[in-house]
Amino acid sequence: MNLNPEFQRQLYLECSQARLVGIPLVLGCIFTLSYFIDGYHLGSATTQTALILFMLITLLWGARQSIDSIVEEYRDRTWDTQRLSALGPWSMTWGKLFGSTVMVWYAATICLLVYSLSTDNQATLPLLLFYSICAGLLVQNGGLLLGLLAVQRGQSKNSSIFLVAIVGFLAIAPWLTELASPSPLNRPLANTNWYTSAIDSQLFHQVSLLLAIFWCGLGNYRLMMQELGIRTRPWVWLGFSVFMTVYFGGFIPSIFYTFSLAAFLVCSGLTYLGVLVERNDAMRVKRLLMYFSQGNWQRGLEELPIWWLSFILTLPAALQLSLSSHPLIEFSSAFHFYPLALALILLRDCALYVYFCYGKNPQRALTLSLLTGVLLYGIIPGIFKALGQTGLASLFFPLLADSATGALICALLQTGFVMQLLYRRWKIST
Amino acid sequence: MITVDKLIFEYPGLRALDEVSFRINQGSITALVGPNGAGKTTLLRCMAALDQPVSGSIHIAGIDVLEQPRDCHRMIGYLSDFFGLYQRLTVRQCLHFVARAQGIPDQDCEAAIVDVSHRLSIDDRLNMRPNELSRGLRQRVAIAQAIIHKPKLVLLDEPASGLDPEARHELAELFLELQHQGMTLLVSSHILAELEAYCTEMLVMRKGRIVEQVGVKNSTINKPFKLLLAHAVDNLAALLQSLPDIIVLNIEHNKLALLQIADDSQLQHATLKALLALNLPVCEFAPATSNLQDTYLQTIRHSS
Repeated sequence: MNLNPEFQRQLYLECSQARLVGIPLVLGCIFTLSYFIDGYHLGSATTQTALILFMLITLLWGARQSIDSIVEEYRDRTWDTQRLSALGPWSMTWGKLFGSTVMVWYAATICLLVYSLSTDNQATLPLLLFYSICAGLLVQNGGLLLGLLAVQRGQSKNSSIFLVAIVGFLAIAPWLTELASPSPLNRPLANTNWYTSAIDSQLFHQVSLLLAIFWCGLGNYRLMMQELGIRTRPWVWLGFSVFMTVYFGGFIPSIFYTFSLAAFLVCSGLTYLGVLVERNDAMRVKRLLMYFSQGNWQRGLEELPIWWLSFILTLPAALQLSLSSHPLIEFSSAFHFYPLALALILLRDCALYVYFCYGKNPQRALTLSLLTGVLLYGIIPGIFKALGQTGLASLFFPLLADSATGALICALLQTGFVMQLLYRRWKIST
Repeated sequence: MITVDKLIFEYPGLRALDEVSFRINQGSITALVGPNGAGKTTLLRCMAALDQPVSGSIHIAGIDVLEQPRDCHRMIGYLSDFFGLYQRLTVRQCLHFVARAQGIPDQDCEAAIVDVSHRLSIDDRLNMRPNELSRGLRQRVAIAQAIIHKPKLVLLDEPASGLDPEARHELAELFLELQHQGMTLLVSSHILAELEAYCTEMLVMRKGRIVEQVGVKNSTINKPFKLLLAHAVDNLAALLQSLPDIIVLNIEHNKLALLQIADDSQLQHATLKALLALNLPVCEFAPATSNLQDTYLQTIRHSS
């Protein structure tokens, strides 16, 4: 049988006889204990135990397995063998995702089976199954995504699993426990206001969950393409930016909503996300500039860092917001909303992070950037403000300036200075 | 088979490959040699489309490696210097996975495993795990993985490191056999004596540049001549340097000299006559035994 080779390899690794027998045995012992606690029948203790075990298994163990499926390859120096294989990105992605988590789902299925037998809330069982399976898939997909990003950055430690696992656990556990509570159907139906529509919250959550899985899967596919040497241009990131703008735009209160505001907020966030997750390689920028200077736009686009794309998308939105009389313009007595100055600050922050990435200890870039951020956003402006020097304070934190032009000048000065530093370090690096 | 043109690869602050250009013919076994840090591994990784150069081009069997890396992957086998093996799988499972991942149908995998394991003399270790094998046997498993799909081009980075002399000899025989089957091999190694047994060409790299590409069997570089005198002559260096068309490479104890003379028998005859005319007590004047190591050192000396 011509199974996906990567899936088959994972089966070799995961499906040992000891595990196939050991997992039901261990789970059986735990459920026997809960059965005794319930007074010799399948009751609430068993239900709770099954649900908690399910969450721990699919979210924590599942995330670890999916991250390890890629990070371990890199650490054990077998990744090049896989990169040189004839396997396509899709085969590789699903082979790793489902192969590495096959025992996770084996154990999780047992837990769900016990839950189904012990719950007295049969009405919500299909919904719970939907949420629990989708939540597990989302977290495991996210784990693989993090693993691929770690490999691209040359990281071989899998400590990031704690992050994804805890975030996943915190985000999903309340949903599942609420669904599992005795009388969820007695509560009034809640609606989610999205743009001008009131949508059934349950339906909205379900669609959102499926969309999250879709984008995570697509992200994995694209990253795997890059790893396998297949040329990619950042259309998916562009599509993701537009999707996020439309999706999150729906949550902005209608009195403030404009497409520009949604685009500005989302693309700013994605710029920060992009600069953090991608490897900031000085040579990549050199190649990019060389391709652009040669007029080779296709290759140039392939080298374009995703945060550049998000930042470029932020600019027209910032310009549009600056030219319009937006209600947010006076949103606080202390700070002002100057979109163009904010866009420049965004560029300054990213440039600072990249500056540290090009240094001798790129692994400390995030810590150093956060420290610099605390100084630039809080401590230095705070000192000048306390001294009554608002002008100097706004030089460091332009949103304190009284006019948009003043803020823009302050932001320009800062950004220009940081860009100059970055350029010098980039020249040395290349 | 392989055409590399003006290939440039840079690490931050370091140009690892500096306008590297060369051609390799189909069916050849080319030794890629050079000091540590010369750029050999980087060159092999670029050729395997694992790393992306700043500029330049690589064509393998008509395929533009930088534009169509996946097409290139299907026709090459690559053994990394720091290769890894799946420690939790048996050798048979490792080979089965690689065979399947390289597109060999499931029903043909067993035959491919038997064939490659027989060639590399690991057929009695198929049910062992790599961590139960010696370094040399693990090396053989890694080579087996690289050639199981019978690629047109095999790139090997230090394939013989960790192998005992017998295994190296077997490896040399294997490479010659692969060559006879039509494969082209590019082998990076420090063990020049081992390369001599099978390579037909040598690419010498230094500081990211190809400084020489020579046919090992028919070196275009002048072979050194050994001049041995019956007794020491005080002003031997001055006398030899007075002769035209020769370069004095080395003089030992005013009795033994290593000369470089063009590969021209008439010129060599004229040189011998000139030496005798100088009344030198010549008792031996013949080409010095040259091997790959000499050729390499000679090239490196020229380039520096």
